[in-house]
Amino acid sequence: MNFKRMGKCFFVSIILFALSAFTQKTFVEKYKPKFPYKKAGLTKREAAAHLLNRFTFGPTPNQIDEVLEIGLEKWFNQQLTETLDDSDLQKRLVNYDVLSMSTEQIVNTFPNQGQIIALAKSNNIILKNTDTTAKGKEEYKEQLKQIMQQYGYKPVAELERQLINQKILRAAYSNNQLQEVMTDFWFNHFNVSLTKPQCLQYTFTYERDAIRPNALGNFSKILLTTAKHPAMLEYLDNTLSVSTNNPLSQKQNNNPAAKLLQQKLTDMANDSSQKNSAFLKQMLDAKKTQGLNENYAREIMELHTLGVDGGYTQNDVTQLARALTGWSAMPLLRDGAAKKLIDKAGGVEKLRERGFIVDSIFLFRADKHDEGEKIILTQTLPANGGYAEGEKMIEFLATHPSTAKFISKKLATRFVSDHPSDDLINKMAAAFLKTKGNIKSVLIVMVNSDEFWKADVLREKIKSPFELAISSVRATKAEVQQPFQLFLWCTKMGQKFYYYQAPTGFPDKASYWINSGSLLNRMNFGLAFATEKIPGIKLNLSALNNNQEPESIEAALNIYSNTLLPERDNSKNIQRLIPLINDNNLEKKINNVTAVKNDMVLNDKKNNNMIAQVVGVIIGSPEFQRK
Amino acid sequence: MRNSAMALFAAGFGGVPNFIARAASNKKIIAPYKKNKVLVCIFQRGAMDGLMAVSPYADASLKTLRPTLYMSPAETEGKMFDLDGHFGLHPSLAAFAPMFTEKRMAIVHGVGSPNNTRSHFDAQDYMESGTPFNKGTASGWLNRAVGLTGHEASPFRAVSLTSAMPRILYGDNEALAINNLQDFAIQNRANAGTANIAGKSFEELYDATSSDILNKTGKESFEAMKMLNVNNLKNYKPAADVVYPNSALGNSLKQIAVLIKMDVGLEVAFAESGGWDTHFNQGTTNGLLANNFKDFSNSITAFWKDLNNYQDDVTVMTMTEFGRTAFQNGTGGTDHGRASCLFVLGNDVQGGKVYHNIKSLAREDLEDKRDLPVSTDFRSVFSAVANNHLNIHDNKSLFPEWDENVLQMMRT
Repeated sequence: MNFKRMGKCFFVSIILFALSAFTQKTFVEKYKPKFPYKKAGLTKREAAAHLLNRFTFGPTPNQIDEVLEIGLEKWFNQQLTETLDDSDLQKRLVNYDVLSMSTEQIVNTFPNQGQIIALAKSNNIILKNTDTTAKGKEEYKEQLKQIMQQYGYKPVAELERQLINQKILRAAYSNNQLQEVMTDFWFNHFNVSLTKPQCLQYTFTYERDAIRPNALGNFSKILLTTAKHPAMLEYLDNTLSVSTNNPLSQKQNNNPAAKLLQQKLTDMANDSSQKNSAFLKQMLDAKKTQGLNENYAREIMELHTLGVDGGYTQNDVTQLARALTGWSAMPLLRDGAAKKLIDKAGGVEKLRERGFIVDSIFLFRADKHDEGEKIILTQTLPANGGYAEGEKMIEFLATHPSTAKFISKKLATRFVSDHPSDDLINKMAAAFLKTKGNIKSVLIVMVNSDEFWKADVLREKIKSPFELAISSVRATKAEVQQPFQLFLWCTKMGQKFYYYQAPTGFPDKASYWINSGSLLNRMNFGLAFATEKIPGIKLNLSALNNNQEPESIEAALNIYSNTLLPERDNSKNIQRLIPLINDNNLEKKINNVTAVKNDMVLNDKKNNNMIAQVVGVIIGSPEFQRK
Repeated sequence: MRNSAMALFAAGFGGVPNFIARAASNKKIIAPYKKNKVLVCIFQRGAMDGLMAVSPYADASLKTLRPTLYMSPAETEGKMFDLDGHFGLHPSLAAFAPMFTEKRMAIVHGVGSPNNTRSHFDAQDYMESGTPFNKGTASGWLNRAVGLTGHEASPFRAVSLTSAMPRILYGDNEALAINNLQDFAIQNRANAGTANIAGKSFEELYDATSSDILNKTGKESFEAMKMLNVNNLKNYKPAADVVYPNSALGNSLKQIAVLIKMDVGLEVAFAESGGWDTHFNQGTTNGLLANNFKDFSNSITAFWKDLNNYQDDVTVMTMTEFGRTAFQNGTGGTDHGRASCLFVLGNDVQGGKVYHNIKSLAREDLEDKRDLPVSTDFRSVFSAVANNHLNIHDNKSLFPEWDENVLQMMRT
């Protein structure tokens, strides 16, 4: 073993010792390492720029100086503690009323069309949908609108708009940047999608309540909160996964009253003179086809914890699905059929008496849980395990060695490089296991590794479209008045966030983000953004240069390259652009167009225009795509 | 004739585009513009009522199940086209009739997914991933198909005429999602006069970057942009007498025709058609569904005619996530069911036939006593088309966890 290697081992054991010796809080406070950037040949400024590129949505002007003043390590610790003042952000979010709503309020404020129709029917408000002429359609729409007004409902599109906008504003303006970056990371890891209508009303609180508070917390906790949130339960169909293998269900089926009801319903369904016969028939048929659904059980192992090669079999999937039968969502729609049923049966208290578990918006349906014995991986779950066995399995999965590796690799891929080394992953995984999934500890090991600072990983990560858009806002101190416009551009560039359909989430690698269509759109984004052709995005580019006018395009290129791309060698790119600008009389062309438009503010405009063109090229340039 | 396009680009843009040169040096294909076959897939989102599109009118049960939605070729007004004495084509799909008679079009009935979900989201997801019991499959089957052709990628090899990438094209092989091909250009709305210089600046910078992926993709983007040439798009004239419906599907197919005729290396194209979720008053010869059928069939027919002498290279295949209930519901519509039908059009198709394994519509033959059961797995149709038309012979990779028979419906 050579000396360097010994040093490495020693370093790791110190960290592991530190991790075990202190509780999480004192650990973060007392442990004050020096980031090993000097070894990699980086200056302190370059190290600060790298830190900001990877752990924020992009540096703001002068932020490198701020980090240097605080100290790199202390800045990172501040980000880990998530307690920086965010009053500026809060002001920008003041009109987003959904932020303070409970899931129940959201469900009852933004019902989907099906729910509105059902409510209207149950309250005997007639909905005319019998003719398909233009007039008939109009009338139908008008009726829907009236019902919405009468009940104070708002369109679901407004809910989506607020969800999307708040993400953009938080990413752009929050001082607790790492919290937002990690929220983005975990949302993508535990992906749910607005393409699934059932997820619409739940996604807002999924991110707000299940993900963000745990983004820098404990992995077991975030795994459990996502497992129990209706967004995930609906997205991966666990609400549909049911069993009759339990005493409640069997008793129910043998109950003479229930039998009678069943018979009555069947008779009604078969009697076509009955108003609801078709509906009843469907309902009864649907009930017959109910059973085990393995979707969530498979993905929690394949995508959320162990990884596809994590050592589980199809049988483990089936057994885990059995352990999670009955994990469901609490019905929240007032006047909704399911809620009425619960009320009729004596409400939540009565449910609890029967062995159901109501935990806020999570509902464990004891009558749908498979109470048989299960063997999953190395775990034997004896019969009659109820809700607890599912929680036990989630804890088991969260702290499994395969999970430690899988999560560490994913974190390293996000923050270090598209292909992190096994050595780094193993170090991080060791910290993960030692601390039972303390996410902060894993990040600390990562940022203290030599690999994080190595020259060949610098600037090698490619920004996602969202990161490109937000880093442009931050680098130029832009005022985002209409955040949704940035969402439309992200969609164009290939990242319709909140709408990725597959549970894998967006692939976090350059080859996914960069293709010819998306790349042209990145360039077009740069130009549109800088020239203020994106509605509701306001820039003051001359303020970035203390309101001083650059003397020439060349000067502007120099000034703005170094402002937008701090601590990078921009000289070569500038040299390449200069002949192009001179050859083509760019300045003259810009000014010609402007002159026709407005004589009064000609000079100002000329300059702004020139600067905007320059900044547009910088934002669309390859260097700005890298982080 | 087609090879002249290459000469044109070579002359006009100072050399053969990079990716074409690379394709040429690849020994798998003989010439860069060797006609690669093109598969065009159209997804009818919302679940098309297959029993109305291609109606088993001769089955006595149909009239009982659908008292007011029943149609027959015997009716004089809005007459159905009798396909084979058992099935009839909806009058608004009449545009398909000649292609069926010429044996270029085949219909597959009773087709769907083995997973009995009746959720649009889930069923579409499964049909696009091609793995009906696995949500976590990262890629879509059409993306896998692209990879299996073994051809060198052009930026236009897989194109979806949608604003966001559809599930069916998720995956490792490069695909382009674009609503309007005219967006494939450097645009400077603030100052059109400088767009050219901005474009050149970008080209210069991407050429010089030390990031391999940005360098390579940058080059390809600019080459592709020049090949596509926005002006050609604006001035595109379809073949004589061809009028595309001014609808979403019509516009998508028109743009796909442009790509095919430009020989830019297109191999799979994807378009969508909406409005098939007919729970209320779907109508018969007139109404909601009839209008949709008209747009659907007129768009596809216009596309086919427009292709002209490119027809040999192209197969069009439609798909929809499931069918609708065999019986009509209380509001003159149909609810979510199981099997539907699909259309396959092309000169490689053994057409003029309705392929099916449907028993009958008698109650005991229905799934859950309400739906036309799935008697043909969608993968046996998709694989037939991919095998024959795209010359892909790795169904294990195309449709993992599936090893049933491929439907014999293509010319051999």
